[in-house]
Amino acid sequence: MVETLAADAHPPYLYPDYKSTRLRAPAQPLVRVAPSPLEAAGPAFPKHFVKDSEADLTTWGKSAPLGEKMVLVGRVLDEDGRPVRRSLVEVWQANASGKYPHPVDDHEAPLDPNFLGKGQVLTDDEGRYRVVTVKPGAYPWQNHAFAWRPAHIHLSLFGNAYAQRLITQMFFPGDPLLAIDPIFNSVPEAGRRFLIADLDLEHGVESVALGYRFDIVVRGPRATPMGV
Amino acid sequence: MASPTPSQTVGPFFARELIWSDGGKVLFAGHGDRVTLTGRVLDGAGAPVVDALFETWQADAAGRLPSGGEGARPYGYGRVSTGAEGGYAIETVVPGSFRGPGGETYAPQLSVAIFARGLLKAVQTRVFLAPLDAVKDDPLARAIGVPDRLRTLIAARDPADPKIYRWDVRLRGAGETVFIEF
Repeated sequence: MVETLAADAHPPYLYPDYKSTRLRAPAQPLVRVAPSPLEAAGPAFPKHFVKDSEADLTTWGKSAPLGEKMVLVGRVLDEDGRPVRRSLVEVWQANASGKYPHPVDDHEAPLDPNFLGKGQVLTDDEGRYRVVTVKPGAYPWQNHAFAWRPAHIHLSLFGNAYAQRLITQMFFPGDPLLAIDPIFNSVPEAGRRFLIADLDLEHGVESVALGYRFDIVVRGPRATPMGV
Repeated sequence: MASPTPSQTVGPFFARELIWSDGGKVLFAGHGDRVTLTGRVLDGAGAPVVDALFETWQADAAGRLPSGGEGARPYGYGRVSTGAEGGYAIETVVPGSFRGPGGETYAPQLSVAIFARGLLKAVQTRVFLAPLDAVKDDPLARAIGVPDRLRTLIAARDPADPKIYRWDVRLRGAGETVFIEF
């Protein structure tokens, strides 16, 4: 069950440069256990849980949202490279101005009445997903002086087993704000590149939307002996 | 072998995206007496964590692993956000015990994952809906060993209302909840 490589890929709980970790990071060592039969299985989201339209974040308003339209494609795989099939991927993000439609977001940037910034999709039999959206804006936050979060899209994944559950963030290539972001830099250096999408023009839409590719690897199957 | 995608914090802005209106009501194919697991999530200073995503996954009342779902919701799975006092509530059934591949018995328990701003990766654990002396042979109880630490995973039945189980999560510091890794 020892998975040194996998453990090292993830950030530590305590990363003092990200101030919110100081009071929330567990201090005691984790207790290592085998996933229970329950954790080697996971919630099943039926096909009708997700509507096809929910994979396009740009069409639910009365007109198109502001911003740079983009297509995000990728595959969800396990550590052995096997596709994670029919698995829920949820995405959420700020609008093109860097504003979330959330009551605690006090950034003085405009909401976009045509953009909610929320979508979901089930992976197909090859583990592929495709989401249409607009590129989110960077936004300031209170972590340190002149702190700005680099543009990012949040992703929530279930895999095929509860032990594979993952929430992460996808960043954009070449973003100068990555260098000053403690959340991104909390990841050990070798793993940071796995959080950055690749420009993938051919998966965009000609003259309409830029394409990006972001493949996601969830843990296992070694951690999930019951099979996934 | 492919490198796993690193975890990142859920951040503070997920309420409209990940929270379902009835996400705290856990559905099952069969029946069982409904109970409520409720408590607070607290940080290392004892302050309420008001913006956590609190998830549960469990067997049904007979100890069967859930599969499938009802309407648009999977069986056995609960998901809520903590509120202004750091509180959460999951309305569900007391799960039955179940067996592992080596014949070991898992005591009645919910698998729990908590995500929050300031948590770069989820904290994961298991909460027992059974008294301390009924969980001693559970694989996690054996792995923990120390009764004082194991107690952090016991949901206490409310003496005034047996349908309520109370369990607080302390992320850090005195009385820190036991968290697990796989």
